[in-house]
Amino acid sequence: MSARLQRSLAAACLAALALGLIGLLICPPVGAETCLSPFVKRLDRPEKYLYVYCVDADAKDNDFLIVIDVDRNSKGFGKVIHKLDLGSKGNETHHFGFTDDRTRIWGLTLFSNRVFLIDVATDPARPRLEKVIENFGAKAGLASPHSAYALPGRMLISFLSGKDGGLPAGMAEFTNDGKFIRKWTFPKEAPYGYDVAIKPNLNRMVTSGFTYYDNYKKPMAQMDFKKFGNDLLVWDFRQRKVLAKLRTGAAPLECRWSLKEGANHGFTNCALDNSLWVWEGKADGSYSARKLCDTGKLPADLRQSPDDRFLYVSCFASDEIQQWDVSDLQKPRLHSTLKLAIQPNMMHVTGDGKRMYITNSLLSTLDRPGEFWVKLAHVGPDGMKLVPDFHVDLNKFKTGPARGHDMLLN
Amino acid sequence: MSALALLALLCTQARSASEGHPSLALRACVGESAPPSRLAVIQKAPGFALTDQSGKAVGSASLKGKVLLVSFVFTTCNGSCPATTHRMGLVQRELKAHGLLAGDRVRLLSITLDPKRDTAEVLRHYMRLYDADPASWSFLTGPPAEVAKVIAAWGMWAKPTANGQLDHPSRVFLVDRRGDVREIYNLEFLRPAWVAEDVRLLLSEKE
Repeated sequence: MSARLQRSLAAACLAALALGLIGLLICPPVGAETCLSPFVKRLDRPEKYLYVYCVDADAKDNDFLIVIDVDRNSKGFGKVIHKLDLGSKGNETHHFGFTDDRTRIWGLTLFSNRVFLIDVATDPARPRLEKVIENFGAKAGLASPHSAYALPGRMLISFLSGKDGGLPAGMAEFTNDGKFIRKWTFPKEAPYGYDVAIKPNLNRMVTSGFTYYDNYKKPMAQMDFKKFGNDLLVWDFRQRKVLAKLRTGAAPLECRWSLKEGANHGFTNCALDNSLWVWEGKADGSYSARKLCDTGKLPADLRQSPDDRFLYVSCFASDEIQQWDVSDLQKPRLHSTLKLAIQPNMMHVTGDGKRMYITNSLLSTLDRPGEFWVKLAHVGPDGMKLVPDFHVDLNKFKTGPARGHDMLLN
Repeated sequence: MSALALLALLCTQARSASEGHPSLALRACVGESAPPSRLAVIQKAPGFALTDQSGKAVGSASLKGKVLLVSFVFTTCNGSCPATTHRMGLVQRELKAHGLLAGDRVRLLSITLDPKRDTAEVLRHYMRLYDADPASWSFLTGPPAEVAKVIAAWGMWAKPTANGQLDHPSRVFLVDRRGDVREIYNLEFLRPAWVAEDVRLLLSEKE
């Protein structure tokens, strides 16, 4: 065989290998964590650590992050192994997210406009507070940072408020170490912000709308429920331009694109409409939204199974998690229900789709009095079943009870 | 009807038309000025001084004024690097097909994450396997300590794994002629047509 032919064969093999790898890397394999930005590096092993972002319940002590040992082969399984003091109180620590390379967590706050940059690379079992950014969003004229969504090499943050605590909300991009890059402006006719989700292969992004600081800071009885978003925005991501405004039920919260290859639809939970909605792209490039099904009361969080068959909906006010089979979008079916003692809220489905961690605090102004905890359920085609020996009590810290909200795995 | 009223009417109609249909009307009607560029300045591109596959010194100083597409890979990688380099090859062909490589205004660079193994000779062999045209695409290496500084300056990292590989982020940087990073792609966004569109935009800007 000539050297030239050998080179040609080697090149052909490499091209085939590269194409295969592109396929694998672009279409996350079944088992990828479904609720993270698609740009976040995925775990290539079962989870070992669960990070829970906690509010000191009476706001008299500092907020913190706890690390729970979730390595099923560990003797410490289900135990809190580390508590990271965030150095300040009254932040309403709410959502947090990994940077694209999974070395850092951005911890956002709803009451203080602080952002905590937390190093989880040096020692994943003992995260370290790397930087605190005060008045975060000021350069963008925005406040109340909500969703931390990784882009390649930077972060996209959705804000619930303008700088004065009102509207319009907006989004902004930052370098992974916190430097402001640019602002994204919401249209005046859809000024509410909440979640964001990008479907890279379609170059499409969807954002949703909750309410703004001056409204959500009030006790629930005083909130103005007319002042919540009821639209989804579909964006051309590369152009940073709104393509369509889709009317939904009140307070569309989480945005979840379908995980199926080539699918051009996604789901949102409308918290004040007690419903799930689906947005769907058409062949002509247009989008529409319609109600998919009615749910329990106050659907607060929405997660997906890796095979895209199930949606998990935490119904905060009816104390249950519903598992919906959405394999047929024309006939969604309630597959199972998990009843919990009180107000399940955030969920986190593992990469293999077999386990789901659950917390039960939504917002200090919305929580009912009760016990706070972290639970674990086995989930899948057989339904949802709590793991009886996994119950992390968040009420007995030296500083008193804590409200656990968002979770991440490592 | 005043011009203002006419504008308001047009906006109302455009908004109505935009309900559920592709339209740029929403943004156009909110009274905001268009951003200067859809590719914002992300950060200053860190400087570097390394050597290419033929042993020639190549650095940010000698590339000043060019649009750069910078990847970080290593030749024994069995993770994302083969796909990244394959895609970079497709990008090079796309740029060439559209005349964007003419005049030496655009260069592709692949900096090794493994300088101990990736010598100039190894890089030359790797380039041949991927049919990389050295006229506009250089593979860079150097003393490990120097390469390590460059990797860190770009916010990249490479950590040895148990199987002898290197764990590393997958990012490709687009740098404008002023030396500012204007886009960071991962593999999904490293699409030849999209990169060509971005390169064309950067070339249209004043230096």
